[in-house]
Amino acid sequence: MQNIKRTNFSENIMQAIFFLSAFISVLAVLAICLFLFMRGIPAIAEIGFMDFIFNEKWGPTNTPASYGILSMIVGSIYVTAGAIVIGVPIGLMCAIFLAEFCPDNVYKFVKPAVNLLAGIPSIIYGFFGMEVVVPFVRENMGGNGYSIMSASLILGIMILPTIISISESSIRAVPDNYAEGSYGLGATKEETVFKVVLPAAKSGVLTSIILGIGRAVGETMAVVMVAGNAVMPLDKIELFKPIRTLTTNIVTEMSYASGLHESALISTGVVLFVFIIILNASLSLIKSKAQRN
Amino acid sequence: MKNSKILSIIALVLMLTMVFVGCSKETPSGDEAAEFDLNKDITVVARDAASGTRGAFHEIMKIIVKENDTEVDKLVVGALEFDGTDKVITAVEGDEYGIGYISLGSVSDRIKAVSVNGVEPTVENVKSGNYTVSRPFLLVTKGNESDLVKDFLKFTESTEGQKITNEMNFIGYVDSPADYTASGMSGTIKVAGSTSVAPLMEKLQEAYQELNPDVTFETQAQGSSQGIKAAIDGSYDVGMSSRELKEEEAKELNRHVLAIDGIAVIVNKENPKSDLASEDITKVYKGEITKWSEVK
Repeated sequence: MQNIKRTNFSENIMQAIFFLSAFISVLAVLAICLFLFMRGIPAIAEIGFMDFIFNEKWGPTNTPASYGILSMIVGSIYVTAGAIVIGVPIGLMCAIFLAEFCPDNVYKFVKPAVNLLAGIPSIIYGFFGMEVVVPFVRENMGGNGYSIMSASLILGIMILPTIISISESSIRAVPDNYAEGSYGLGATKEETVFKVVLPAAKSGVLTSIILGIGRAVGETMAVVMVAGNAVMPLDKIELFKPIRTLTTNIVTEMSYASGLHESALISTGVVLFVFIIILNASLSLIKSKAQRN
Repeated sequence: MKNSKILSIIALVLMLTMVFVGCSKETPSGDEAAEFDLNKDITVVARDAASGTRGAFHEIMKIIVKENDTEVDKLVVGALEFDGTDKVITAVEGDEYGIGYISLGSVSDRIKAVSVNGVEPTVENVKSGNYTVSRPFLLVTKGNESDLVKDFLKFTESTEGQKITNEMNFIGYVDSPADYTASGMSGTIKVAGSTSVAPLMEKLQEAYQELNPDVTFETQAQGSSQGIKAAIDGSYDVGMSSRELKEEEAKELNRHVLAIDGIAVIVNKENPKSDLASEDITKVYKGEITKWSEVK
């Protein structure tokens, strides 16, 4: 009797601890949301929603000041798109190679290398970008090097580990009988991988791409060092010209800003946050679709 | 089995070519550096919108255009903006066609500081007023500071403090500084503000601590506006500013001029120009001149 009581008691305590842990993470999200929206929304209201989102003029120190972030929204989208163009094909090919074709002795070398890539701090990526990628782009592709191209290159490398590891595990998770069925019908290894296994792993691959996009959109430190941070009017944006993204706008000006300027930067954070919410929503949409299938 | 072998060979070949491409790129860049192509576009490097250095430089150089009630920063579209002196130096050091501006005290042999209107950016020229691109370094306090903070301010304005200031290539502002005698006080002084003032502040703190070993400092350098804000709200004892105070800020703060600092216009070491007219600098920063060949 007493034994059972004691088990119940410890059970309850553990339950409380687990609940508390879950509660704390939810609380953190709520607190950040609350902070962002409470500080950001009034500023957006003061500037005017249309003037904030659809105006390409950013001049916080001018009188009258203008706070339009359209150029940075577009900048974030371009840089991310560039990262996807560079990172997804390489990452996907690498994942297929690792999961299906890679000999064990090569795997032992490649897999830790990919994991290491994920662990490199973003400031190191930024430093590498400023000292190596920017001069490379300047000398071989044109412009002064600080550009959408450089930022995309760096981000393309940074999202590789995300894409590789998630895609690889989803490819590995495809049941063996799919492949065996395909072999049974006389298909070659390549046909099997690309026409049977890969389509079956589709939702995992999509997940990896979306998480990669999330990483690219939110990356700050590395981008601020290679993108040049110039606010470009929409018609002047070019692949080899500098660009400012939402994140770099916040980080370059935050420490100096005051008053409405500071609030406008927090509002920039709100827009970024909405971006991430949209990404996460599409992620859960893909997952629920995959489950239905 | 066969496929995997072929694939790994391809991977190996790809890696090797990348290594070789990487190597071959290194050599020509070294040769190219020798000749300076005046017809290449100028890479304009600026500081971020609210830095003290930028505020002062853009104002002196008339890049900020004032008309009636409006005040517009006409910085050329596509100018690189960095949030720190070090990044500006790195950018100009790495780009032959770059131009930037930094505090005179931060000039090093990584880049070349040019003369403006024929006047070299030296301490003497700033002091005599011949070199016109300069601004004050301020320490601001709320007015209710402790004796310790007062003592530290006294030190910065003393013979010893001003000597350090001059050694750092800033220009001491105090006309007839008094000698400082150690007070032997203890406590913590919290200082925040401009990244341009910070190196000088660090040296002053070191010297002050040698005389008063019981005093500790907490220093944060995140920009003039932040320092001024921190001094106004009382979260820090002393604010460092590398720009003049705005009217509403001046009302709330005591202002101590620590030094006068020249702002140096810097270019890459490969750049043949060593003297720029201030009108040309203005035109470069406003985008009216885009090539080095158009600069006199």
